[in-house]
Amino acid sequence: MKALREAFSRPSILSKLLVSFVALSAVPLIVLAYLANRNLHETGVEALLNIEEMGHINLSLIEQLRKKVIQDTVEALDARSTEAIEVRTVDLANAIAAFLYERDNDARTLSTILPSEKDYLSFFQCHYRTVIEPPSTIEEIRTEKKSSTIVVSGNPENSQSWRNLPPYDFKKKSIPIYREISFVDLEGNEKIKITSHGASKDLRNISSKRNTYCQAEDYFQHLGSLSDNEIYVSRVIGEHVPGWLQVSDGKVTVDPASAYAGKENLAGKKFEGIIRWAIPIVERGKRIGYCTLALDHEHIMQFTDHLVPTEERFSNISDAGEGNYAWLWDSEDRCISHPRDFFIMGFDGNTGREVPGWISETTYSEYLASGKFLEEFVRELPNFREFTQNKKGAKDQTRIGRIALDCKTLDMAPQCQGWHDGTDDGGSGSFVILWSGLWKLTSYAAVPYFTGQYSKTKRGFGYVTFGANVDDFHKAANDTKLYIQKTLEEQKDSIEKVNLKTGSTIREREADNRNLLLAIGLVSIMAVVGASIIISYGITKPIKNLTAGALAMRRGELNQRINVQSRDEIGELATSFNEMASTVAELDHMKSEFVTIASHELRTPIHSILLSVTGILGGYSGEINDEVREDLETVRLEIDRLMRLVNDLLDLSRIEARKIQLQMAPATISAIVSQAVERISELATTHNHSLENSLEAEKTVVNVDVDRIVQVLINLLGNSIKYNPDGGKIIIDGSAHENVFSILIIDNGYGIPDWAQKKVFDKFFQADTYMSQKVGGTGLGLSISKHIIEEHGGSIQCVSPAPKNNYPDLLLNFERKGAVFTLTVPINQKSAG
Amino acid sequence: MKINKILVVDDEDNISSYLSRKLSKLGYEVFVASDGETAIDITFSRLPDIVLLDVKLPKMNGYEVCRKIKSNETTRLTPVIMLSAKTQGNEIQQGLDAGCDLYLTKPIGFPDILQHVRSFEE
Repeated sequence: MKALREAFSRPSILSKLLVSFVALSAVPLIVLAYLANRNLHETGVEALLNIEEMGHINLSLIEQLRKKVIQDTVEALDARSTEAIEVRTVDLANAIAAFLYERDNDARTLSTILPSEKDYLSFFQCHYRTVIEPPSTIEEIRTEKKSSTIVVSGNPENSQSWRNLPPYDFKKKSIPIYREISFVDLEGNEKIKITSHGASKDLRNISSKRNTYCQAEDYFQHLGSLSDNEIYVSRVIGEHVPGWLQVSDGKVTVDPASAYAGKENLAGKKFEGIIRWAIPIVERGKRIGYCTLALDHEHIMQFTDHLVPTEERFSNISDAGEGNYAWLWDSEDRCISHPRDFFIMGFDGNTGREVPGWISETTYSEYLASGKFLEEFVRELPNFREFTQNKKGAKDQTRIGRIALDCKTLDMAPQCQGWHDGTDDGGSGSFVILWSGLWKLTSYAAVPYFTGQYSKTKRGFGYVTFGANVDDFHKAANDTKLYIQKTLEEQKDSIEKVNLKTGSTIREREADNRNLLLAIGLVSIMAVVGASIIISYGITKPIKNLTAGALAMRRGELNQRINVQSRDEIGELATSFNEMASTVAELDHMKSEFVTIASHELRTPIHSILLSVTGILGGYSGEINDEVREDLETVRLEIDRLMRLVNDLLDLSRIEARKIQLQMAPATISAIVSQAVERISELATTHNHSLENSLEAEKTVVNVDVDRIVQVLINLLGNSIKYNPDGGKIIIDGSAHENVFSILIIDNGYGIPDWAQKKVFDKFFQADTYMSQKVGGTGLGLSISKHIIEEHGGSIQCVSPAPKNNYPDLLLNFERKGAVFTLTVPINQKSAG
Repeated sequence: MKINKILVVDDEDNISSYLSRKLSKLGYEVFVASDGETAIDITFSRLPDIVLLDVKLPKMNGYEVCRKIKSNETTRLTPVIMLSAKTQGNEIQQGLDAGCDLYLTKPIGFPDILQHVRSFEE
């Protein structure tokens, strides 16, 4: 810390280095950190945006995928369902055809038997068939249960997609296949007639319709044209049973007064009917009559009433209300089997006339306008004219419950046309139609039975149709759809979660990186500061050493050498310094040597001259006149001056070279000053100067080389005497100040001009050349004195003019300005204490 | 003690010849030597009454010469005045250590030298 404070308090190398290092490293570092942080932040933001976008893309892809998958799945599953339903439709049609062909066989068999009541009875009793007995009450329906036993395969290799359905354990009963069998002679008289009650005695002539079933049969008129072995098959004949549909809140229910309608109306009257087979009987080549077999229509109903085009597959009771059921149309498009019995075309029991089919209100209005009978009007209606479900059923027909379905004229049910058209070539198929507010799949298949009148078209006996509620029929697809939707929702959720997590991770990382960057920055700056301090110390320390060395050299310690450690420029500088120091020391040594030798060599000739001159002056060379004596005296004075010069030079060179050793010893000021006064008094007297010593009793003890201080005092006093006019006054004064004692030598001479006051201590400086000549000064005395005092750690200075007021005795005036020389020497601390 | 014979030892011919002339003129028997060895030879052979001895000499310096004179039984009482251009304290001390009787520094006037020589006559 101290170093730092020092570094900033003055513009040292350290502070400069510190500032430039910090500036050079910290500024780019800060810029770098700022940029890195900004980039990081931008990257983070961008990454977040990308992730978000990716999420959105993902989600929209998922959404698309969802739609596509659902659509595809629904389509695929629908296709499968459709196919399954179509297959069942065709199977059903084939089964019905096979059943009908069996009846052909029955007829042929019966025709080979000679008619007898006994044989006909036994034939009748041999032809029974089981039918499902529908429940008679709602409760009974509810008790229907499926087996709760789960059946699995004993072999685990069969466990994949293992499916098992329990058997349909419906209550069944056996009933006669035929309502009656009979033998009719060529005139139409019944000769034998067997019913479930046995042989009937109520034999009639059936050539009259009134004597036929439901008064509606006209088969006798067709028999005559039959060739031998040719079979006649009638249409379905039965009494129409009325029914009423009630519609409330879009839901259709069946009025209880209606005919039987499966689950919708258990108690209603059932449609009962027959289909009659007839075949000629030939005996010995001669036709004797016809045998007829009236198939109980119930057996036809069995085929359609218990089939369900859904997973349920079979039911013991039909339910048109659910919309999933099968029904049957004959070759002329009349409804001959339907869960709702009132839809089956039939005859009026009283009149034997066919009940006309249900038509639309629109068409009914036409009928009303036509003035025709309804049967007549409907019979004359063109087939499949303007069929559309925009039409509503005729209310008059609805009111009286006469709503049998005749596909050709049911012009508010466009699907009729579809079935009809689809079975034109005896084929099968399906389509979807919106019916009664429900989308329904409907399939159709022609019943390939081509006997008698049914051989007229490829449609054969007629056609089977299936209706399936799309919801039910879509069930598999919908289940899959729900599953996919759920999975995709979960996927969406997990994507959103991942996005959120990724976002927060990025933010965390961003913060982490920022902190790391900050830490690196701080560490770097600290390292830079540390490095700059170390480096600057590496530079400044040797420089300080150099400075110290130079200062020591200045003090004369010429043997000073810098300890060179580094090999860099500083090291070179130190080496150069050392070399310079060596050179300087050598030069100094040479100078001292020179001065010593020179002074010695000078003394020898001076000695020679002095010997001669003094000899002459002493009269050892004979008598000399006054003029010669006077001249030789001048020579003698100049020799003295020359000697002083030589001595002073030698002295100065020794002092400058620090070759003199101060002999420090404690001494009182009074003793030192008195010694000087004593030695100068002769000179003072010569020049008529008065000396006033104020320090005669000064007992302060100083630590000095007494001889040297005395030398200085003599020099100063001598100057005051020699450079000033004779008869002057000199005061020696002084006082102690803390650690030093100041000695003042004050004269009342000419004084020293301002410009010269500092120069007087320079070598060979003489303010007044003339005066110097006159007094024979060397110009070295003050220089030597200054060196001596400074060597003691003291100081010497000169002030002129002398302060008048302090020294009134000196009588200072304009001419006699006076001068004060002040020298300070250290007080001996031990003695001072 | 009466001084009759003076040995002047100096390598500067001007100085030795001047002293020789002036002292001879005053009635002294003067021997001159310009190097240390000669000075020793003359001292031991002629036995001068006083020796004026320069310090800086060829072959053997003044201190050595003085030491030899003072260490010889015959000559040890012979006064030796050393004259030297060397004025430092240690040089004077060296001279006194060598046993000289008087140490004078150059330059010095002839009357002064004569006065110092005569001071040994009393």
